[in-house]
Amino acid sequence: MEYFIQQFINGLTLGGMYALIALGYTMVYGVIQLINFAHGEFFAAGGYVGAIALAYLAGLGYMESNPVICLTASFLLSMAYCAYLAVGIEKIAYKPLRKESRLAALLSALGMSIFLSNGMMLTEGVYDKVYPSELFQGGFDFGMITISYLQIMIVSLTACLLVGLNLLVFKTKIGMAMRATAQDKTMSALVAIGSNRIISLTFAIGAGLAASAGIMYGLYYGSVKYDMGFVPGIKAFAAAVLGGIGNITGAMLGGLIIGMVEIFGAGYISGEYKDVFAFIILIAVLYFKPTGIMGENIDDTRV
Amino acid sequence: MVIGLFLVPFLFGTVSAKTLKIGSMSPLTGPYASDGTDIKNGVLTAVEVFEEAGGMPGYDKIEVFPQDTACDPRQAVAAANKLINLKVVGVIGAYCSSSTIPSSETLDEENIPMITPGSTNEKVTDRGLPYMFRMCGRDDAQAPASAKFMKESLGAKTIFIVDDKTTYSQGLADGVAKASEALGIKILGHEHVNQGDKDFSAILTMAKRENADILYMSLQGYSPAAMMTLQAKRLGIKSQIVTQDACFQPKFMELAKDAAEGVYLTYGFTDPTTPEYKAFEKRYVPQYGKIAAYSTYAYDSATSLLKAIKAAGSTDPAKIKAELMKQDYQGVAKHIKFKSNGDSGSSYIAFKVANGEFVPYWEPVNGLIK
Repeated sequence: MEYFIQQFINGLTLGGMYALIALGYTMVYGVIQLINFAHGEFFAAGGYVGAIALAYLAGLGYMESNPVICLTASFLLSMAYCAYLAVGIEKIAYKPLRKESRLAALLSALGMSIFLSNGMMLTEGVYDKVYPSELFQGGFDFGMITISYLQIMIVSLTACLLVGLNLLVFKTKIGMAMRATAQDKTMSALVAIGSNRIISLTFAIGAGLAASAGIMYGLYYGSVKYDMGFVPGIKAFAAAVLGGIGNITGAMLGGLIIGMVEIFGAGYISGEYKDVFAFIILIAVLYFKPTGIMGENIDDTRV
Repeated sequence: MVIGLFLVPFLFGTVSAKTLKIGSMSPLTGPYASDGTDIKNGVLTAVEVFEEAGGMPGYDKIEVFPQDTACDPRQAVAAANKLINLKVVGVIGAYCSSSTIPSSETLDEENIPMITPGSTNEKVTDRGLPYMFRMCGRDDAQAPASAKFMKESLGAKTIFIVDDKTTYSQGLADGVAKASEALGIKILGHEHVNQGDKDFSAILTMAKRENADILYMSLQGYSPAAMMTLQAKRLGIKSQIVTQDACFQPKFMELAKDAAEGVYLTYGFTDPTTPEYKAFEKRYVPQYGKIAAYSTYAYDSATSLLKAIKAAGSTDPAKIKAELMKQDYQGVAKHIKFKSNGDSGSSYIAFKVANGEFVPYWEPVNGLIK
C-alpha cells in the first residue's frame, strides 16, 4: 500500500507537468486547428529562462534571504518571456499560413521546433544547465512514504494554474471570447471579437503554462538541457489527444493519465517499457473512442 | 631552364609539405559531448607535445581530424568512412562501446589501427581484429573489482542494479550481477531504464521498497547518473550508491551537488605523482580546465600511436602494430604495455566523492587507501 501511494505521488507530479504542457497543444488546436509542434520548445525555453533568472538572483544573494520572492519573480519572468516568444512565433510562422492548407502550417510548426531547439543549443551550449536545487530540499516522511517539498509545491502550483485557467476560460469575458472564436471565427468577428487578438492570447497562455512546467521540471530534476522539450512535448501531445484534442478538461485528465500509466507501468511491470504503456493506453482509448476521452464534439468547452 | 627553375621549388614544395593525418572519434554533440570533448582535447595535446619534441621525421606536421560520433553506431560508422577517405594512418576513439565496435569493423577493412581510450566492453578486443587496441580497462575486470569492493569494503549483502540498456551499461550491469552472485551478494532487483530518461522515480521507489545495501547505477554518462542520484536522495533511499567509470567527470558533482557526496565509483588507477602526469597536468589544465574522464587515456593513446609510427619509420599498419606491441613505457594514465589481443591491462580501484572531488578510496590488493 505504501508502495502504491509513493508511486501515486510520483505519477501525480509527472502527470501534472504533462497536463500543463498538454493544455498549450489543446488550446491552440481548439482555436486554429493547428498542432503546434514547437510547443515543447516553449517548455524548454521556460526552463532556461528560469535557470538564468534564478542563477542571476542567487548571484546577487537574494536567494538566501527571499527564496519565495525570487522563485515567483523567475516564474513570472519566464512565463512572460515564453508568452511573448509564442506570440512572436505565431505572427512569423503561422499567421501568414492561416489561409493555406493545414499541412503547410504543420510543417512550419515542425520547422520552428527544430529552429528553436537548435537555437537554444547554439546560445546555451550542449551541457546541462544546473538549477539551484538546494531550494526546497527535504520533505515529509510517513513511514516508507516520502513526499518532498518540491513535489508538494509542484502539485499545488499545477492545481492552482489549472483552476485559474478553468476560471479564465469559463467565467470571464475573455474566456467567452476565446470559446466563441473556437466555435466560429466569422460569427465571432461579427460580434466584435478580434480573432487575431484571441489567437495571440491563446498562444500566450499556452506558452506561459508550458514555461511554468519548464521551471518545475528544472527544479525537480536539477537541470535543464536544450533538447529537453522533445520527449515531454510528444508525451503531452499524446495526453492532449487522449483527453480529446481541443478540450481543456480532457488535456488535464490526459496528462494525469499518461503520467500515472508511465509511473505505474514502470513500478509494477517493467521500467524499460514505460513509454510503451503510455502509448498502448493511447491507442486503446482511440480505438474505442476516436475523439478521445472527453471528445472533441462538446463545442462549448472547446478552446 | 626558366620553367625548370619555377618547377623545382614547386616540386620540392609538394614533397616537403607532407602531413601525417590521424583521426579522432568521440561524441562531440549530444548527451556525452563533454566526455567526447575531453578525448579530443587529450589527442590534440598529445600531438602538440609530440611536435614540440621534434615531430615526425619525414613529415612537416601532424594533423588531427576530430569526428563526431554522437554515441550513435550509425554516425560512428559514417565518421569511420570519412576518416578512411581522408586517408588517416590511425584513429583514436571512440568513447561509447556501441560506437567503437561497429566503426572498428569499418576501419579494419582498410587495416587502419584504432586505439580506444574509453570503451570498456569486452567485445571491443575479443573479436580478434588485428588492429584494434585498447588503452583503458575491461568491464570483465571492472565488474569483479566492483563486486569485491562492495563485499569487502562496504560489507554488502544485497544489491539492486539499474542499467540503461546500452552495450556498455548493460554489459557492465550483467557483469556486476554475475560477480556479486559469485561473492554471495543477493540480487534484489535488476531494472532497466531508457537512454534519455529523466524521471527515475518509479524505479527508485522500487529500489526503496527492496531497500538493498547497494544501489548500483550502470548508466551511460554522468548526466543521467547525476539525476538518478539526486532523485534517490530526495526519495530518502538509504542504499549506498555505487557506480562506474562513465561517471568519472567533475560535472557529475556539479549536477548532483550535495547528493553526490559519498557516492562510490570504480575507475582505472592513475598515479598523480608521476612526472608524466604532472607534465600533462601543467599543460592541459590551463588550456582545457580540469582533467576529466578519459582525457589522459586519449593522450596516452595518441602518444603511443605517434611513437609507434616514428619507431616504425613507416605508416604500414603491420609495422605500426609490431612497434605498438614492443612499447613498454610509463604514460600519463598508466604504464603502457599491450597484450597480444590489443588490451593494455586493467587496474580498477574505487573512488569516493568527498567535498566535490573524486578521492581514491580502495584498491583490490591492499584494501583501503590511506
